Amino acid sequence: MSVTEYEVGKHPGPPTRPRVEVDPITLRVLGGAFHAIAKEMAGVLFRMSYSSIIRESEDLGAGIFDAEGRELCESDSTPMHIGSLPWYIRGFLHRLGDDVEEGDVIVHNHPYLGASHSPDVAVAVPIFHEGELLGWAAVTAHVLDVGGSFPGINADAFDVYAEAKLYNGLRWYRRGELNTDVDRMIFDNVRTETMNRGDMNAMLAACQLGRERFLRLVQRYGDDVVMSAAYDWMDYSERMLRAEIEKIPDGEYGPIVGWLDDDARNRDVRLRVETKVVVKGDRITIDLTGSNPEVPTGFNVPFEGSLLVGAYYAVRTILLDEVTFPEHVPQNDGVFRPVDVIAPKGTIFNPNFPRACFSRFTQVQRVVDNTILALAEALPDKVTAGNSAGIHFCAYSGFDESAGEYWLYLEVNEGSYGGRHGKDAMDSVDNLMANTRNNPIEELDMRFPMRCDQYELRPEPAAPGKWRGGIGIIRRNRFLVDGVYSCEGDRQTDAPMGIFGGWDGLVASCRRNPDTLRQELLHAKVTGVPFAAGEFIEFREPNAAGYGDPLDRDPALVREDVLDDFTTIELARDAYGVVFADEQSLEIDDGATAALRAELRERPRFTSLTDYYAERGLPPSSSPSSLAGNREFGID
Amino acid sequence: MKRIGVDVGGTFTDLIYVDDESGTVLVHKLPTTPDDPSQGTVQGIRELTEEAGEAPSSLDQVFHGTTIATNIVIEHNGARVGLITTEGYRDILHIARHKKPLNFSNYQDLPWQRYPIVRRRDRLTVPERVSRDGTVLVPLDEEAARAQVRKLKEAGVDAVAVCFLFSFLNAEHEQRVAEIVRDEFPEAFLSVSSEVLPQYREYERFSTVCLNAYVGPKVATYVGRLEQELHELGLRTHVHLMTSASGVATPEAAVQRPVNLLMSGPVAGVVGGIWAGKQAGYGNVITLDVGGTSADIGLAQEGRLRMKHLLDTRVGPYQAMIPMVDVDTIGAGGGSIAYVDQGGIFRVGPRSAGADPGPAAYDRGGTEATATDAMVNLGWLQPEAFLGGGMTLRADLARRAFEEGPAKALGMSVEEASMGAVQILTHSMVQSIEENSVRKGYDPRDFALVAEGGAGPLFAAQIALEVGTPHVLVPPYPGVTAAMGLLATDMVYEEVATAYQRLSSLDQPALEELFDRLEEKVRTQLAEDGVAPDQVVVHRIADCRYLGQGYELRVDVPAGPVDHPWEERVRADFHDIHEREYSRRFEESDIEIPNVRVRGVGLMPPLETSEVEHGGESPDAALRDEGEAWFHVGGTLQQVPTRSYDRAALKAGNRLAGPAIVNQYDTTTVIPPGMTAHVDRFGNIVIEVAASAEAKALAAALGAVASETV
Repeated sequence: MSVTEYEVGKHPGPPTRPRVEVDPITLRVLGGAFHAIAKEMAGVLFRMSYSSIIRESEDLGAGIFDAEGRELCESDSTPMHIGSLPWYIRGFLHRLGDDVEEGDVIVHNHPYLGASHSPDVAVAVPIFHEGELLGWAAVTAHVLDVGGSFPGINADAFDVYAEAKLYNGLRWYRRGELNTDVDRMIFDNVRTETMNRGDMNAMLAACQLGRERFLRLVQRYGDDVVMSAAYDWMDYSERMLRAEIEKIPDGEYGPIVGWLDDDARNRDVRLRVETKVVVKGDRITIDLTGSNPEVPTGFNVPFEGSLLVGAYYAVRTILLDEVTFPEHVPQNDGVFRPVDVIAPKGTIFNPNFPRACFSRFTQVQRVVDNTILALAEALPDKVTAGNSAGIHFCAYSGFDESAGEYWLYLEVNEGSYGGRHGKDAMDSVDNLMANTRNNPIEELDMRFPMRCDQYELRPEPAAPGKWRGGIGIIRRNRFLVDGVYSCEGDRQTDAPMGIFGGWDGLVASCRRNPDTLRQELLHAKVTGVPFAAGEFIEFREPNAAGYGDPLDRDPALVREDVLDDFTTIELARDAYGVVFADEQSLEIDDGATAALRAELRERPRFTSLTDYYAERGLPPSSSPSSLAGNREFGID
Repeated sequence: MKRIGVDVGGTFTDLIYVDDESGTVLVHKLPTTPDDPSQGTVQGIRELTEEAGEAPSSLDQVFHGTTIATNIVIEHNGARVGLITTEGYRDILHIARHKKPLNFSNYQDLPWQRYPIVRRRDRLTVPERVSRDGTVLVPLDEEAARAQVRKLKEAGVDAVAVCFLFSFLNAEHEQRVAEIVRDEFPEAFLSVSSEVLPQYREYERFSTVCLNAYVGPKVATYVGRLEQELHELGLRTHVHLMTSASGVATPEAAVQRPVNLLMSGPVAGVVGGIWAGKQAGYGNVITLDVGGTSADIGLAQEGRLRMKHLLDTRVGPYQAMIPMVDVDTIGAGGGSIAYVDQGGIFRVGPRSAGADPGPAAYDRGGTEATATDAMVNLGWLQPEAFLGGGMTLRADLARRAFEEGPAKALGMSVEEASMGAVQILTHSMVQSIEENSVRKGYDPRDFALVAEGGAGPLFAAQIALEVGTPHVLVPPYPGVTAAMGLLATDMVYEEVATAYQRLSSLDQPALEELFDRLEEKVRTQLAEDGVAPDQVVVHRIADCRYLGQGYELRVDVPAGPVDHPWEERVRADFHDIHEREYSRRFEESDIEIPNVRVRGVGLMPPLETSEVEHGGESPDAALRDEGEAWFHVGGTLQQVPTRSYDRAALKAGNRLAGPAIVNQYDTTTVIPPGMTAHVDRFGNIVIEVAASAEAKALAAALGAVASETV
């Protein structure tokens, strides 16, 4: 079936179901109930599931949607999933039309029909009430392998058919009966059958639970009241967001231009991400015109399931920040409505079928980062300095002869946030649209033929600023058997951008067998690289950017940073102009500090941690266990 | 036996004295002394023993529930902790699980970074590394360890935590460093991961062990001082403390593993609720303890406590992977503020007016509408009867707060808005109860709701109606239920060890030996506490999961030999438990046992309270007032004649017909229209929620606004 006739990004418009008035107390009660259902669905999913990417990292989303995919509620799991399911539903309905029946279970992952990307598989169950399709209970989760050219990750794929097996509105169950051949087709064509099966069973259980819970609400309150309350809450969230947009003066903000490292094949050709924010009245537009043309690899972005989700996330998070905004505004269809996104057809953000688009995360992160930076002048107390806005998302794998299956470990290496108005940044945390959990080292070591030899803050200091940037991590992982490594990463060439005089951050790096004779720099995006038993990899994730001039930072805070090794005595002097009486007591020499600060203000200074280290070289960092591993495997 | 239970809460210290031989039961309440809670405790014990006409030296037991450890964490005023950890992994506590608490916020703080338990300057590393099979990959550098310990001593830390990777498989390196700490820095409080929590998942373990060190010195000081002062008072027995798992800790154990006291207070409330239920003939109870700012909710089937999932056990924002009774705390209480937000949504809580300024009706400067004000407006709380007449409420201020607040914003009458506020708050509690009952497969119709705390009995009947529990139980002294719980509990010790076995390839002798070793440990402890061997009961528990899953469920396993029938039984039980928890079972899957536990119970004499005087059905002797209050009747909110009674004057056998209000010093009980209640022989008020047809009609009328949420 051709997907090209599908109209990309088409919203269904206002709901047409007749609405009744819902009293304020019932409205409040149902709002809480919707939230509770989504939360409970997610809880079942991650507790029951098998693969560590779902159960430890919680790379999943779950919620209830109306018949046309409008989101009623979604779980507080990782934002990249939140808001993609409406598009999955619209996508598979394009395939299925009205042919949906009680007891059907639909599996979908088509990136040109709404999916976020092909490994984020959706399972959806229709909710019928007295013959009417009221809505959907649906979940997405990142499954380990979807049968592409390489295990786990396919950044460099020829086309969308090479990146994954495509599930286009497949009916895994039909009228409550397992569709045996579909089941075989799904699970016979992935490298990790046991894990995928366990995970998809958990996804189905979560959907069935969501459906059951929602129907009980309908029985209790009536379908009209429940659906009307759902639409009232969407209107509420929309109203709250519009009110905040309206407070921003009309105008164009930006453009901000960022650069992605490469497309996973054509090295040293950087890709442009241009972002402009346009505010008019109570509408906001994220305009990506000027961004890079689509690429021949898997480094394109599905427009609906990924880019739109990123834009909605950025706007909502800046304007309705859950900490600084006084009310809890539920995440639902309402927060999508005031946001428009422009990405010309044929760019990496709106690729033509059948371009591969497996690896899209870092591009979307950069759109979010650019959007924040574009609004810095207009909303200085709501933005951050440049964030690491990337991850190294890796797949480690090998064939387990005894199990007759692949082992496959997916890992998200986190970055850090930029400095903020009035407070320092968050270090070593999944940032922006990523909010997964890391896999415990003890879990990794015991479950996989691998070992984590180092995991801590990277040795380089935070990017200076009145409010310092966050610090990324250093991590070393070793293969204990022969295996294969793939990765979709970025941010190894273009550093996070400082604002209001804060320094730019420090780029990421990725090295194979560092500090040995076999040392090799790795590109951020690689596909199917063989590793011999004993070989290892080191990541250093970006230190994000500073906010405000470091010469304005309270010297007492600089001293605290030195004590905690968040900065160095040298950088205290060079960037912050803070002079200590001696290196033991670290007492601040007030006179010398004032004098140095005055002098530094007058002369050209570094404004980038990346530049600062370009001269000095990255400091070495290792661990006894890394060295012991080298000895164990004879790697000199 | 002569026993005292002392529960130190944020506002009040509650005590109960029981003489098992004579059947004497006395209760006492005095303000908590926050600067040094031991003062209030000691004073209370002195006053209570005086009242009983006994010398403190005649006491056989003192059981103590305390929020001291919780408050240290919440107020963030614990010890300066130094950490010795594996080189190359300095920042496990800083990175945590690399997940933000909130999705949609760039301005949130990561509590473990903003308010670290151990600051980075005090996290020092030493070369060492144990592998996943327990073998040594990098030998411990003892000289480096010694140098780091000295460094911490010089830096002036109060406590030292020792946390190495895989120490739960091989504790040698940790033990060696612990020796060095004892040698170099004996005055430091020491917390070693392989002793405090020998379980896998390094962040959760390190966090727990460091929390232990963080609360340790203060808890040690407090327990030491308490022991000292009680000794001076003439007490000859040791004080025992309630743990988060409803076990009992000796002062020594409390000082070694103070982290186990983190939920001591709320757990006592659940245990007390269970006891109250059993005494009144209800084995299945949902306990609801509502105070000024928060409500604690627990559930027990057949009188048995449920434990929290080990990865849900948090205190404040910190992970504490220790066994905890499943008690849920939500921000709903008498002080919860009712308001209409800028988007037009009616909200109540979690913000609270607290005790200061308190509800508007307290006339202490509060102007925002609270749940307490709503109940004054509805006539449920009677201004002149509040706190036994000890405090007069200002009805006009309560009214004004609603008039100018939510009623105006919603275009409703004061009474409608007040009823709405009560219902929204009720709904939050209903939701929390349902999360813990219906959604876990328990049928609320099989349970009684036990109303505790100053505000519990105000809400309980309406909550019961919506949740579907047929009875509400209001114990004679709802405010001291937690203290009762302390005396109603047995002496329980739990030990845990990592096993890592699969059912399909079980090393039966090894597992049996592990169980035996843990059992030996708990039996020894109970013997030291003076529990006779015939009063000891031992339970064995296996944490189980399907092979490949990452989360375990607790399974009670048979005592005796670990053999084939044992395996079969555990397999069958785990499938059932998994199905109940997640509504699916995977018969074909292998089952893994990461940890095993042994729970040793030293049985205590049952807590018996005396019966109250029997009266006839008529409660007229206790009638104090015939006024009016607002309720939903026949689908509309209206003012109806409502009688109010004095609790102290009620007799066993009295029957009350709603609408009625029962006042006593520490709480007010509301019996809505259509419901009836009786006083049982122990003085409990038992409200029959679904007994009358009228109540069912009421339930139907409430259906439009009430809140069965799932």
